[in-house]
Amino acid sequence: MTDPVPVGVDAVILAPALLPALAAVLVLVGDALLPGRRRWPPLLGIAVLLVAAGAALATGLRPASEPLRTLCLPAPDGACLWTAGPATGTLQAGILLAGAAALALLHDAGGGPRDTTVTTTLLLAAATGGAGVAASRDIGAWLVTLELATVPLVALVALRGTRTAAHGALTLLVTSVTSFALLVLGSALWLTATGDAAFAADTVSAAWGDPERRTVLVLAVTVLLCGLGFKLSLVPFHAWTPQAYSTADIGTAAALATMSKVSAAAGLLVVASALTGTGPDAGRVSVVVGIVAAASMLLGNVVALRQDDATRLLAWSTVAQAGWVVLPVAALSASGIRASAAYVLVYALATMVAFAAVARVGPGPLARFRGLLRRDRLTGGALALALLVLAGLPPGVIGLVAKVVALGPAVDAGLWPLVVVAVVAVVLGVAVYLRWFALLLGEPAEDVPSEGRGGGSRAVLVLGTALLVLLSALPALLLDLLS
Amino acid sequence: MVVSLLLAIPAAAGLWLVTGGRALPLAAARLLSATAVGLTLVLSLAAAVSRQGIDRPWLPDLGVRFSFGVDGIAVPLVLLTAAIGALVVAHAWVEVPEGGTPATFLGCLLLVEAGALATFTARDAILFFVAFELVLVPMWVLISRYGDRHDDQARADAGHRFVLYTAFGSTLMLVGILALVTFTGTSDLRELAAGAGAALPPDRQLLVAALLVTGLAVKVPVFPVHTWLPPAHTIAPTAGSVLLAAVLLKMGTYGLVRLPVATVPDGFARLSPVLAVLGVVGIVWGALVCLVERDLKRLIAYSSVAHMGFVVLALAAGTETGLQAALFANIAHGVVSALLFVLVGGLKQRWGTVDLSVARPALRETSPRLGFVLVLGLAASLGLPGLAGFWGELLAVYAAWAPADNRPRALFVGCAVVAAVGAALAAAYALRVARRVWVGDVPEPEAGTTRDTRGVEAVVLTTLALGVVVLGVLPGPLLAVTADAVARIGGAR
Repeated sequence: MTDPVPVGVDAVILAPALLPALAAVLVLVGDALLPGRRRWPPLLGIAVLLVAAGAALATGLRPASEPLRTLCLPAPDGACLWTAGPATGTLQAGILLAGAAALALLHDAGGGPRDTTVTTTLLLAAATGGAGVAASRDIGAWLVTLELATVPLVALVALRGTRTAAHGALTLLVTSVTSFALLVLGSALWLTATGDAAFAADTVSAAWGDPERRTVLVLAVTVLLCGLGFKLSLVPFHAWTPQAYSTADIGTAAALATMSKVSAAAGLLVVASALTGTGPDAGRVSVVVGIVAAASMLLGNVVALRQDDATRLLAWSTVAQAGWVVLPVAALSASGIRASAAYVLVYALATMVAFAAVARVGPGPLARFRGLLRRDRLTGGALALALLVLAGLPPGVIGLVAKVVALGPAVDAGLWPLVVVAVVAVVLGVAVYLRWFALLLGEPAEDVPSEGRGGGSRAVLVLGTALLVLLSALPALLLDLLS
Repeated sequence: MVVSLLLAIPAAAGLWLVTGGRALPLAAARLLSATAVGLTLVLSLAAAVSRQGIDRPWLPDLGVRFSFGVDGIAVPLVLLTAAIGALVVAHAWVEVPEGGTPATFLGCLLLVEAGALATFTARDAILFFVAFELVLVPMWVLISRYGDRHDDQARADAGHRFVLYTAFGSTLMLVGILALVTFTGTSDLRELAAGAGAALPPDRQLLVAALLVTGLAVKVPVFPVHTWLPPAHTIAPTAGSVLLAAVLLKMGTYGLVRLPVATVPDGFARLSPVLAVLGVVGIVWGALVCLVERDLKRLIAYSSVAHMGFVVLALAAGTETGLQAALFANIAHGVVSALLFVLVGGLKQRWGTVDLSVARPALRETSPRLGFVLVLGLAASLGLPGLAGFWGELLAVYAAWAPADNRPRALFVGCAVVAAVGAALAAAYALRVARRVWVGDVPEPEAGTTRDTRGVEAVVLTTLALGVVVLGVLPGPLLAVTADAVARIGGAR
């Protein structure tokens, strides 16, 4: 770490976060110069997000031994505020692609919001935050970018303007503020325990050796996990999820369910990577993480089993899947972190396809989906595949592989109680998604109004499904990108 | 190459039939599926002879390879699967159940066949698990969409029970596999069987064996986790019941041979007393239920529980004879149960229900060919010498009588005695069915006669009947095919 430049700034390396930020500014300036044009901001946003995702993916293709670093501090040890290895790049690509898909759903022909400038800017800002948090390695940047990834979505929920949406936004805002408070507290405790303003394995290792500092560190991790739990919809911090999903419009709900979750998972993985420095004797941290994971998987699936509304079912499915995302983290190993990243990406992709299908059919009771496979083969087929991926049943092979990859580190670390809960969760999850899947196969219901949405949701549906099929045929593609 | 095509043809044809070709008319779909299963049957023979495999990286991160191939243990099952696959598609000329398009129905049959073939040929533990899961969704569609139209609730219930039980079992098995892979550092089944697994310390072997056996016991099924089987077999359409009994249950016993028996022999040995007792309980329980069951299809399903009990008992004995007996009984049960389910499915189609308490004219008088096949199937099922069922059960009881040295002998001898009693009970319920259906009741004047079998149905039944007789008269060739591989597993111990 002998960077001669005081603070090196490499714009190319920063592209995944810089591009959406610049695009947000561009949209605002453009709107000031050419007011009243509604069509171009989302298109520009989608284009820039795709380019940024490409840039992030290029990082993902580099060998893990040479991560891209920039914003490096001169002294004393020259920590770099931006460190992007392959897993980071792939997570960033996931966040940015999810942002592009959410923008497409949000501005689908027909039911789009009135002010596209504002919605586009907000989504771009959230994408910037997500790309930033994945690469941040110090507490300051991590906190700021994590909030940037969340707060714009609160505004998006509120923008819908209905009374229930305002209520949902208020809940989300309160949640978000609480979460931020906890994150700040956790960060302060982290700083106290490790004496380091960065998330680094070596300082954690040193702190772990000292019993007193270890106690503070366990407390710091617990508080940070609570803060992140709100963002990831982990039990017991999940209560806002169904309400926010069902009051927001479908694009915003999709952004909350995918982009926001991948961002939060990326934030969690930054902390977890540092915690791998605790060594094999990390029992207490594993217990904290494991309890949250187990509770989310069980409660999310059990409640999802009773839901009759598509959006609410997806909300509770998010809660359950968040448990699966955290499950491999409990092992506190490098393979566990990769597994968690793989799982959250697969979850986000399948969930995005499911939301696109819901957007085309129209949100509402599950009965609307009866016989969808015969009424509308494209939407029905895509939703069927997405549900099988979420359930982890072939032909959704990638979902199954993600579950295998997620269970591996937990078995490796000998977390048997957690593994047993996961086995039960698999069965419950199969029941949840097959219930919906069975409706798709059924006889078509009569006189179901067709929403007749436009090209945005169709494009998301087609591309998302193509990606799911590709990954199901060659699951190694995703795993290679992460290592 | 042969193995790749063997898996790819039914998988591709099946996938196309359930997606792009869903709306295909019956004749075209049937022709396509028949071509696919015909080719698969030829390829399975070629694979059995050439014994080539494929092996390429699949998930390099986890060290999982895309490795398929056949050995002595797999060959009989691959041939059985391909043959049964051809017969169930042929059966579509007899009956295509309602509930969806015929193309989807045939596609699901092909997908189940492809999944089973992949399971029997996988040479990597994690790949085996993925293949194991492949059959779930198509089979669930067969049960819950194309099953018995009488009771929607019962149909949905049977489908769900099948999927949830099996998913639970296979996930437990996955945990066992992951533990095994973690402890040994390899997921290659050949390496694991060659000693990588046997080198583990006893407590780890026990843990892995317990997870694997519990998980696979659901699929076999072993008493008391057999409760998914009767509704699934009863509700499923004829072709689905045949596939379930003849192919899917075999995946469970095959998994037991491949995973715990071959990889963690000491752990399995410590569990084997429990398994033997559960197997014997299954034999007696299944037979007792058969003595009082009124629905003929459900009765055949319960007799499957009893027959799989013999397989489990033979496996638990831990000798080469035991393994041979298990593999033989596996194939024999595949053929016999397929025969009985085709027959009972045909009777259900003719009569509407197969309730034994309804008085019907004697089958031997109204439709002598059906009557003959029924008697043959029942005789094979009760283990009459000269028919397929005999050797498997005889060898199983013999293997339990003389178990491996590290098994408690007294317990196994007791199990052998009870199993023999169970076989006698099987004779009792087989005769009960023969009396009710074959001998029949005095025909009431208005009771119509039963149409005798002809055409494709007769061909399917004749083929299966021939299989039953050939396996019974000439067990040698099949035992010889498995002998080498069994000796290798026995030698690894």
